[in-house]
Amino acid sequence: MIEYVGVLMFLAAGALLAAAATTVSGLVAPHNPTREKLMPYECGENPVGSPWGVQFNIRFYVFVLVFLIFDVEAVMLVPWAVVLKELGTPALIAGFIFIGMLVLGLADVWRKGDLEWVREEERAALKTAPKNAKAA
Amino acid sequence: MSDFFWLIPLIPGVGALINGLFGKRLPKPVIHGVAIGAVALSFLIALGCFFGPFLSGGGETVLEKTLFTWIPGMSAAQADGTMADFTALWQYRLDALSMVMVLVVTGIGLLIHIYSMGYMSHDPGYWRFFTYLNLFTFFMLNLVLGANFLMMFIGWEGVGLCSYLLIGFWFERDSAANAGKKAFIVNRIGDAGFILAIFLIFYTFGTVDFYEVMAGVSAQFDSPEAGWGVLTAIGLLLFVGATGKSAQIPLYVWLPDAMEGPTPVSALIHAATMVTAGVYMVARSAVLFEHAPNAMLVVAIVGVSTAVFAASIGLFQNDIKKVLAYSTVSQLGYMFLGLGMGAYAAAIFHLMTHAFFKACLFLGSGSVIHTMEHAEHASGGHRDYTEMQDMRNMGGLLKHMPKTGWTFIIATTALAGIPLTAGFFSKDEILWSATHGGHVTLFWIVGVIAAGMTAFYMTRQVILTFFGEFRGGEKMASHLHESPSSMTIPLMVLAVGSIVAGYVGLPFGASLIGPFLAPALNAGMPIEAEAHHASVAVELMFMGASVLVGLCAIFLAYRMYWGKPEGDKAVSEGWPGVYRTLYNKYFVDEIYGATVVDGTLGGASALNAFDAEVVDGAVNGAAKLTLGVSDLSNLADASLVDGLVNAVWKVLAGVSNGLRHLQTGVLQNYALMMMVGIGALIGFFYYYLWT
Amino acid sequence: MERLDTISSLQYFVPEIVLVFTLMAVLVCDLVSKNRAPRERRLLIVIPSLIGLVVALSYSLQGSEAVSAGLFHNMVAFDGFGQMLRVIFIVTSIFVLLFTLHSNELRLVHHGELLVLLLTVTVALIWMANSINLLMIYLALETVSVASYVMVGYLKTDRLSNEASLKYILFGAVSTGTMLFGLSLLYGLTGSLDLFEIRSALSSQEVVASSGPALMVILVLVLAGIGFKMATVPFHFWCPDVYTGAPTPVTAFLSVGPKVAGFAVLIRFFYGGLASPSEDGASWAMVGSVDWQTMLMGISVITMTLGNVGALLQTNMKRLLAYSSIAHAGYIMMGAVVLSGEGIQAMLAYMIIYLFMNLGAFLVVIVVHNDVGSFDIKDYAGIWRRAPLLTIGMGILLFSLMGIPPFAGFLAKWYIFSVVIDAGLGWFAVIGGLNSAIGAFYYLKILKTMFIDGSDTPEPSTPLALQPLYAGLLLVLIVPNIIGLLLWGYLDRVTEFSQKLLDAM
Repeated sequence: MIEYVGVLMFLAAGALLAAAATTVSGLVAPHNPTREKLMPYECGENPVGSPWGVQFNIRFYVFVLVFLIFDVEAVMLVPWAVVLKELGTPALIAGFIFIGMLVLGLADVWRKGDLEWVREEERAALKTAPKNAKAA
Repeated sequence: MSDFFWLIPLIPGVGALINGLFGKRLPKPVIHGVAIGAVALSFLIALGCFFGPFLSGGGETVLEKTLFTWIPGMSAAQADGTMADFTALWQYRLDALSMVMVLVVTGIGLLIHIYSMGYMSHDPGYWRFFTYLNLFTFFMLNLVLGANFLMMFIGWEGVGLCSYLLIGFWFERDSAANAGKKAFIVNRIGDAGFILAIFLIFYTFGTVDFYEVMAGVSAQFDSPEAGWGVLTAIGLLLFVGATGKSAQIPLYVWLPDAMEGPTPVSALIHAATMVTAGVYMVARSAVLFEHAPNAMLVVAIVGVSTAVFAASIGLFQNDIKKVLAYSTVSQLGYMFLGLGMGAYAAAIFHLMTHAFFKACLFLGSGSVIHTMEHAEHASGGHRDYTEMQDMRNMGGLLKHMPKTGWTFIIATTALAGIPLTAGFFSKDEILWSATHGGHVTLFWIVGVIAAGMTAFYMTRQVILTFFGEFRGGEKMASHLHESPSSMTIPLMVLAVGSIVAGYVGLPFGASLIGPFLAPALNAGMPIEAEAHHASVAVELMFMGASVLVGLCAIFLAYRMYWGKPEGDKAVSEGWPGVYRTLYNKYFVDEIYGATVVDGTLGGASALNAFDAEVVDGAVNGAAKLTLGVSDLSNLADASLVDGLVNAVWKVLAGVSNGLRHLQTGVLQNYALMMMVGIGALIGFFYYYLWT
Repeated sequence: MERLDTISSLQYFVPEIVLVFTLMAVLVCDLVSKNRAPRERRLLIVIPSLIGLVVALSYSLQGSEAVSAGLFHNMVAFDGFGQMLRVIFIVTSIFVLLFTLHSNELRLVHHGELLVLLLTVTVALIWMANSINLLMIYLALETVSVASYVMVGYLKTDRLSNEASLKYILFGAVSTGTMLFGLSLLYGLTGSLDLFEIRSALSSQEVVASSGPALMVILVLVLAGIGFKMATVPFHFWCPDVYTGAPTPVTAFLSVGPKVAGFAVLIRFFYGGLASPSEDGASWAMVGSVDWQTMLMGISVITMTLGNVGALLQTNMKRLLAYSSIAHAGYIMMGAVVLSGEGIQAMLAYMIIYLFMNLGAFLVVIVVHNDVGSFDIKDYAGIWRRAPLLTIGMGILLFSLMGIPPFAGFLAKWYIFSVVIDAGLGWFAVIGGLNSAIGAFYYLKILKTMFIDGSDTPEPSTPLALQPLYAGLLLVLIVPNIIGLLLWGYLDRVTEFSQKLLDAM
């Protein structure tokens, strides 16, 4: 068990650090709340509804998935790069095949318009919508 | 008491911590109680050290205390190709030089803390102000007590930060926020030089400790470096740092703007202490500079140029604080002149006396501004703060606020170098040193001209502010009154200091401070015999000449301004070009704006354009290439796609509408049943099958 | 056993490589043809897919009996069993691909991604069936799952399809999560991810003595993931809902591909990790302290019973076939219980025949849905008058599913029951026979609806629309069911070769 004490200490130190940071900022920071400041920050989207059931725009999920792919790519490539020299040419080729597949994936989402926040079809739909919709 | 000297810097740090964390919720008496108490305690300990070991042991006394190893051994390459362990200790060292600086910082700092109590009493940022002041004191004391260049650098950066925070203290004013930024950015240039110097020092000597470096200089270079070698490079890089912090040409531009900060800040940071850090640094590295005569020559030239240049700008300024700001720049130039001439002790002496009389002047001007603004408010006026600092709106204040007035006049005499004041002794020491070496006449003449200008503009200031009729309007006149005693008492103490402080450095070899500082300036090494001995008569002659110039300048100012507040007209109409150039500060800000700032911005936008056009273009090109594979036919057939999508939607929306009310809640039951199944299987195993 | 490194493994990996490059090529074809007319575009993706699958199939059919190797440093097995399964998966994919072409459900959606997903699942199924490393098993299983989730929800605007997909995802997450927990416990217990090393670890006496309860829990937890793929009780709950909601070609695929792969993993895991083979490799003996044979037997009995009983009152054709497929999973599992090479042979034979009869039945569902637009059994009324041949074909398929001689389904059941009886588990075979009888009820109910119901209404009978492609496919699927007995010898020979499991010895 004793070898886990280090982990415990890390946990404690981490918690302490986080607590200290928030406490200090609470003590030091001026406190002039306004409506905008009290709003939870969600990447520029105005939150709707109560904080217990926050509804995210479904588009975020697409971005998260795409992000995940390339995040995992990085995770896979780092160990690959570390031992590349020992493994030699086959590993190099394998790595490039791997990257090639991911590039293909990127090309796919790009081409399908999934990297646009508002897709082509939707934009066209928005254009045809009545002008006063926004004002209302 | 002296065992605890290392507490001197730490106590204000603790004070800053307390006020910084809890000040928002504390009442004002507690806030300034903590802040002033901390500085007072430090001052007491410093006095204890001075009257204890230093008075008995003299200048050779050195106290050291290592708190902890800051950077443990880190292998790093040396100039001679070997590797050395780079180590930095968190070590405080109190020697004679540091002692003087500590007394100045804590003593003047204490008075200014007390003064601030009155000056800032109505400011909503009261706690913030005292936090910053204490923090500044903490860093400044680290700067002067640190035993190595790295510690000094910490303090150096720290006071820079505090200076930035305090200049921009009233950040809701655009001008204050901009002045803060300007100070910070200009200082960065100097800091870059300083840190390069530290690198070079470690690379050359394998250590950053002051005494070890200086011993290394003496050991490795037995004679002064003739040309432009590594010592000169180090010296010049250090001096680049000093020009930033101590507002010398060409980096002086931030200091006049720094007057946007509260006046106590101007007094403490921008007159008495922080701006003298560069002087302290050069004095600290005296041994090194002694071995780099070319670097010293540069220091002297820059110093004397700054002295006369800034003094000339100060001649016709109308803002009461601006005049004092240019005066400070000019006086700092004097100190560097002294350093450049090798009169380190004289420079430190002038630093000390200057701290007294300039702090007194700034606080006095603060007192005047305070009164002016109160009177304006009381009379219902709403003029801008710049109007309240304009000497053209003052006059005759001596009879309304005699304590402020008389202390101001006393400090003025000191600054103008009237005999038997502190300023007279210290300035004379520097001018006397300027007669040494091979450039006698030029440095001395320029120095004396600057001294004359100083006497002129100070006289002008006193007359415009305190004599004649009040020009701020009838309504205000009735509301003028003396400032509270928390402000006038520090003024009086400082005024006394402006006279008395000079008597530790009497001329003709009777100086106490010179021998006291000598061991520290020589970095604890044995002192060689003094080479220069001039006759008293010669010294007296030079002294008399400079005093004469000063008196003439005072008389000139008297003739021009006494009873004639618009006395500038004599110059502005007689030599309009000269007046305009001086009044507009030689257009230096404009020139910097047009060259350095616009150049930087232009370069930035050019790089930005490069980034946007070329780099992004390349990236996009690569991306397009990838896409190109999939983009063989690029005519978008929007109507077909739309039609298809809409058709799918219409057909399937009908189907899905009917199914909308199907609930998915049973899924939880599925999972539950599966888990029950798993449990049942395990149970089954357990009772019947496990053999 | 040969243990091969990455480079020398590649020669045994050609079909998979072909499939991977095919799926990437299809993806590219799909992207470049974005702005073409739909028909043209479909051809552009279907043809490469088919070519790739056929090439992979032709490689797979060149079986090599002699070689038995652990590829990629013992991650993937190459043996007779795996080669057979590879053929099964690729054939299934070819059929399903052709199913999608004229299905009314998929008429209005673009096929590009569906085919890419199909190919992905195919590759992953092959890996899954051949994995002999815990990590690889899990990885392949997840790849199959994730791609199938999307396939199930492919009708984006159809709520039923979405609901099915969501249920599938959530249930799958729970199951595979449970499995992963079991796998990690197993790793903790034995210190290895390699099945053969796990076996030798479990063979040691001290592990046997100390790890009984732990191993017991592990086996049940791991079975959760495998059972999810096989759709056996109690991990079958997703099956009816998902089969109903998914597009029918996808349902057909799910009812064969992942199920077969699940059984393959079952064999690999239990026979490879928890049993040691006899000298001649024809039978296995359990290793460790846990009697998992009885557990599998129990699950098999419950599964077939529950599947058959559950199917009785169904009114939706897809739902009914879902329960039917659960029941068949129970039958197939009987072969796994007996711990012999003959058992594996019987399972393989059953699965091959099941492939034909089940895919055939689903194709009929697609065809009927194309014309009638419904999956309700009552809407099958009167089909006889409109399409007599189709009805006869469906009859043959259903009889085969029932296990009525002389159709192939009978052969499959007979094969597996006889193996069970040979193993001395006569009562087990009896339960299987009883279940077949129950199954006959609902299969016959469908036949009754098709032949008899609605024949008295005088409405004019228009011939049922039947696409030539589907007609041909039906023929291909039905004929083996008829001539099954004639193919006995061939099937026997093929499966004889395929019962060879890679083993450490």
